[in-house]
Amino acid sequence: MHATYVLKRLLQIIPTFLAVMLVVFLLVRLLPGDPASAILGDRATADIVERTNRQLGLDRPLPVQFGIFVSRLLQGDLGDSISLKIPVLRLIGERLPVTLFLTVYAAVLGVLMAVPLAVLAAVKRNTWVDAVIRAVFQVGLSLPVFYVALQLLTLLGARLQWFPIGGYGDTFSEHLYHLFLPALTLGLNLAAVLVRTLRNSVIEVLTAEYVDFARAKGLRSNLILSRHVLRNALIPTVTLLGLNIGALIGGAVITETVFAIPGVGRLMVDAIFGRDYPVIQGLTLTFALLVSVVFLITDLIHARLDPRMELS
Amino acid sequence: MKRLTHVTLTLVAALSLGHAAAVTRGGELVYGRYADSLFLDPVLNDANLDIWILTNLYDTLLQPTADGKGVQPGLASSYTPSKDGKSMVLKLRAGLKFADGSALTAQDVKWSLDRARQPDAGAWSSSLASINSITVSGNTVTLLLKRPDPTLPAALATFNAAIMPQKLFTAAPGKNDAEKAKAFAEKPIGSGPFVLSEWKRGSYMVLKRNPYYWKKGSDGKALPYLDRVRFEIIPDDNTRILKLQAGELQGAEFIPLSRVAELKRNANLNMQLFPSTKVNSILMNNRPTLNNGTVNPLSDVKVRQALNYAANKEALIQVVTYGTGKVMKSYMSSTTPLFDASQKGYPYDLAKAKSLLAASKFKGGFEISVLATSGSADDLALLTALQQMWGAIGVRLKIEQVDSATKTARYRANDFQMRTAAWTNDINDPSQITSYYTLFDNIESVHTGFKSAEVDKLFDQSQQELSRINRASQYRRIQSIYLNAAPIIYLYETPYPVALSKKVQGFVQIPLGNNIFSAASLEK
Repeated sequence: MHATYVLKRLLQIIPTFLAVMLVVFLLVRLLPGDPASAILGDRATADIVERTNRQLGLDRPLPVQFGIFVSRLLQGDLGDSISLKIPVLRLIGERLPVTLFLTVYAAVLGVLMAVPLAVLAAVKRNTWVDAVIRAVFQVGLSLPVFYVALQLLTLLGARLQWFPIGGYGDTFSEHLYHLFLPALTLGLNLAAVLVRTLRNSVIEVLTAEYVDFARAKGLRSNLILSRHVLRNALIPTVTLLGLNIGALIGGAVITETVFAIPGVGRLMVDAIFGRDYPVIQGLTLTFALLVSVVFLITDLIHARLDPRMELS
Repeated sequence: MKRLTHVTLTLVAALSLGHAAAVTRGGELVYGRYADSLFLDPVLNDANLDIWILTNLYDTLLQPTADGKGVQPGLASSYTPSKDGKSMVLKLRAGLKFADGSALTAQDVKWSLDRARQPDAGAWSSSLASINSITVSGNTVTLLLKRPDPTLPAALATFNAAIMPQKLFTAAPGKNDAEKAKAFAEKPIGSGPFVLSEWKRGSYMVLKRNPYYWKKGSDGKALPYLDRVRFEIIPDDNTRILKLQAGELQGAEFIPLSRVAELKRNANLNMQLFPSTKVNSILMNNRPTLNNGTVNPLSDVKVRQALNYAANKEALIQVVTYGTGKVMKSYMSSTTPLFDASQKGYPYDLAKAKSLLAASKFKGGFEISVLATSGSADDLALLTALQQMWGAIGVRLKIEQVDSATKTARYRANDFQMRTAAWTNDINDPSQITSYYTLFDNIESVHTGFKSAEVDKLFDQSQQELSRINRASQYRRIQSIYLNAAPIIYLYETPYPVALSKKVQGFVQIPLGNNIFSAASLEK
């Protein structure tokens, strides 16, 4: 039953994909400015711009260009980057793992911070502990990501020199070390979102009848918390986490720029400014695919946590 | 007393000599760049991000001097133009090698220059357009010219004339030149001081010492001193500075001018402002009507002059460049060869601005819009200050912020009134900027629409004039005509701000922008 559901969901991605493809294809071409001008700069003569556009096939009618794009895509070819002159697929292959590493790292840190603190705040609700936790994360939520990033860099990176300032490193442990500050930045932001929801749902569950029943049965409160309360309270949080991971992937742009991380976020910014059509198209499709997969996984976890939910 | 001074002087001299001889060899210099290179082929690309690295990988027959005013021998130990100026003989140094150890021959020179001068080879082929044919014999390369060309030495010292290994390039996979270039540029081999050893795009690039480099250091052994240069890509200005302060970098480029004073006070750093050929101006649409058919106030020369006089450059230099800039007096920078020091520019003179405007057809004042690059703090600071300054003569400035690709597209379509702009030369000669700024036939005088038959004629003559004195007077006249016509707002020249660790010695960024690491060293 699960397998057919997953297959069905995956098939549903195809029309979404086609729509995204067409929209992006048209949108990038609606932007003022063309790749030739962007690569050649202000100084290029009209002849050279025209010649470059012809070499890039950008002088052909839009439907023809779209046809070429789709037929290449069906063969697994996203074309070459206009400015870097290397295949887009290779570029994404090099950069995507970096962004995914950062995203997962941030999500793990975010959850590790959010869950215990939210539960603590809920259990100690309306005490000073609750107030402090809520206030800290409220502030965290209202600070812009780039500001938090710079403060962490200045304090933990430059002043105390506990962590390197930016970069990615070459091995797994180096990745963990180099990406700690950016992951913490994003994780704090994520935790701020999660703490509020999770605290409220824990409180809601704590006051539910079945928890009273469990208590009456004489179950230890730790057990009640982990077995009954948390499991149920996590359901809305997982949905929220899923939504936010989608946003994290897209929102890595600022963090990747501040922390000098060679991920897809920065690649996208460079591609947009450089009007590098194949890179913009390739990345948008990748983002669409990733977000669809994250949503699918979220739904599967949701179903696992709540057997009443039917996958159909 | 006298004797003591003498002894001290001798001692100081001895110490400094000792220091010069004891330059440290080895080590890795880590340098922070604001963006990565794109494509490392000298002929098919012309972004500064590539050019400024290419000169470390490839060598040219001649090289620009560090002061930006002339050329010096490079792979060629001498160059001799014929009396009639119709040919030039270059002698290659003996025993030249590429970074893989293979010999660099005259045939490689001929092939490289032939490739670079094909009319459809990149945006730069025209710099070598005067060459008719090239012959080689032994270590001698002879260029036969269509006409005398005073710009040729400078052109031979420019990146697109880099010498590449013919055998390796033609052996690269690919059906045509463009495909071979793509493959070769992944792992380029040149004869410059360094060779590319690793490149993780968007992250870092490592250049290692070319053991076959021909130039000798102060210790009599081959340059470069450094084992490696590692370029880290750090787009954010603050992060680049933090990394430098934390000692993770030994150099960082494009320090925001607003932070220069602060870094100058840092005892561990050497905050350098290298002279550049960068000129910052506002380009104006000089045409009688705009694209939408309305009358263009900027078509009146009195209006353009009035706006120039009403701009207080000294104040702008303080506000925008934090005092690091220098008033611009010609369309070319004062570091450009044949810059005319007697040019007056437009000193701030509000009374003159008012009277000029009153004598124009637009005495009632008008509104005008300027294209600015979105996200550029410098553009915004500049234009808000100008808003005030021009407001004083009744001109209302509207700022339109767009991204740079949009700006280029609008400007290419002549769909603008004013736009902010900066220029740096790529070649050690005034002909490049002059052809762009003053010749309508190039790109409509950087799309201002400026046109002068006299300038066209003078430029033509200057391109064949072998006497430097005559050439200087032709350029003096061109600069004066342009100044009077005022197709642009003359603002300021700005330096290249590079912050280095105190340990770094011998690094230079020349006025053309090239980063020269060949004589850089890391002292203990």
